[in-house]
Amino acid sequence: MRAFVFTDKALERYAGQFVWLAVDTENGKNSKFLQKYPVAALPTLYVIDPKRETAVVHYVGGATVPQLTKLLKDGDTAYRAKSQSASDVLLASAEKYGAEGLASESIKAYQQAIEKAPKDWPRLGRAAESYITALSMKSDNETCVQQAHALYPRLKGTPSGAAVAWGGLTCAAELKRPDAIAEFEPPTREALHDPNVVLSGDDKSGIYGTLVDAREALKDEAGAQTLKEEWIAFLEHEAASAKTAEQRAVYDPHRLSLYIDLKTPEKAVPMLEQTARDFPKDYNPHARLALAYKAMKKYDEALAEIDKALSMSYGPRRIGQFRTRVDILTAKGDKEGARKTLEEAIAYAKSLPQGQRSEKTIAALEKRLTETPQ
Amino acid sequence: MLLLAAPLAAKEVVPFIDNDYATAVARAKAKNVPIFVEAWAPW
Repeated sequence: MRAFVFTDKALERYAGQFVWLAVDTENGKNSKFLQKYPVAALPTLYVIDPKRETAVVHYVGGATVPQLTKLLKDGDTAYRAKSQSASDVLLASAEKYGAEGLASESIKAYQQAIEKAPKDWPRLGRAAESYITALSMKSDNETCVQQAHALYPRLKGTPSGAAVAWGGLTCAAELKRPDAIAEFEPPTREALHDPNVVLSGDDKSGIYGTLVDAREALKDEAGAQTLKEEWIAFLEHEAASAKTAEQRAVYDPHRLSLYIDLKTPEKAVPMLEQTARDFPKDYNPHARLALAYKAMKKYDEALAEIDKALSMSYGPRRIGQFRTRVDILTAKGDKEGARKTLEEAIAYAKSLPQGQRSEKTIAALEKRLTETPQ
Repeated sequence: MLLLAAPLAAKEVVPFIDNDYATAVARAKAKNVPIFVEAWAPW
């Protein structure tokens, strides 16, 4: 959103209507915020009432300028409202619970808000999107498919309709249910090319990912391969059309994963070297170059890049980089080095403040250490 | 070589406070406006 959305002049008129806060979830300074508002996926957007310190809008995922404008208007309305409809009150509860990490309570309130909604309720789209996302994140895939089936006809032809179909397909692919995949695959695919549905390049890339998952769930390897080729062509076109280096780099992680998947990791090297030159303080291109070189079995180059990334990075993200280092050393046959790196990773994970520290991650690293031979 | 001539990043049009929730709350209370928050990570 930094590269494509917050730079858009259409947002200038909202500049004075909000206080704007950017929370880097990797930065230890934000541990108190993260304890109060646990973040399950990135980005997550909020509108917060500063007097009550509660969220009146909680939205998981990136937004385009039109989507963000709607969130801002809804947030301002909810903040200033003296009396609200039953559905608006329930939606506000759902957003508040969602922001506090109370998924079951949030889901129940979304469901009730939608049930009680009048026919022309202007917030149906946002409520439906967040409801389906919450069900999918809770892995309640059966309910997710059922509710997407009920909601999609009411939202067809809108960005929220596309999001609901996409969410339904995500859950259908998890369930490997052919009937549900058949229902949600066509509208999800159509959203990629519908001029009435404004989606970010990032979201379109995510949609391709889900379409691939759906084909793989049906064991249609040829269909999945065709989609992957279409997907990488889309990403390369988006990157080539980017107006700034920052916009181009947004596609680096998507392209890297796909190049590795398509067994052409060497194609990622020039783009990542370019990003490293453009953003010399950014650890990401080095961490990604490490993955590309590992896939190319160039372990010494991979190790040099992951060490550069680790020298610059901070926050929970470093744990993933320690894991990459362990993988490289293991592939190289350096068991002692792998164990030492795991020990460093465990010590680092334990040093993170509350809100960033994850007991699950520490347990997984410790388990891996016991499984790594001396 | 068009890529090399491209600017690194465009400027944000809204004034973000970075990583300081307490300051954001105080300013928002004083101005009687809500806070917009983007929780993100550099990856």
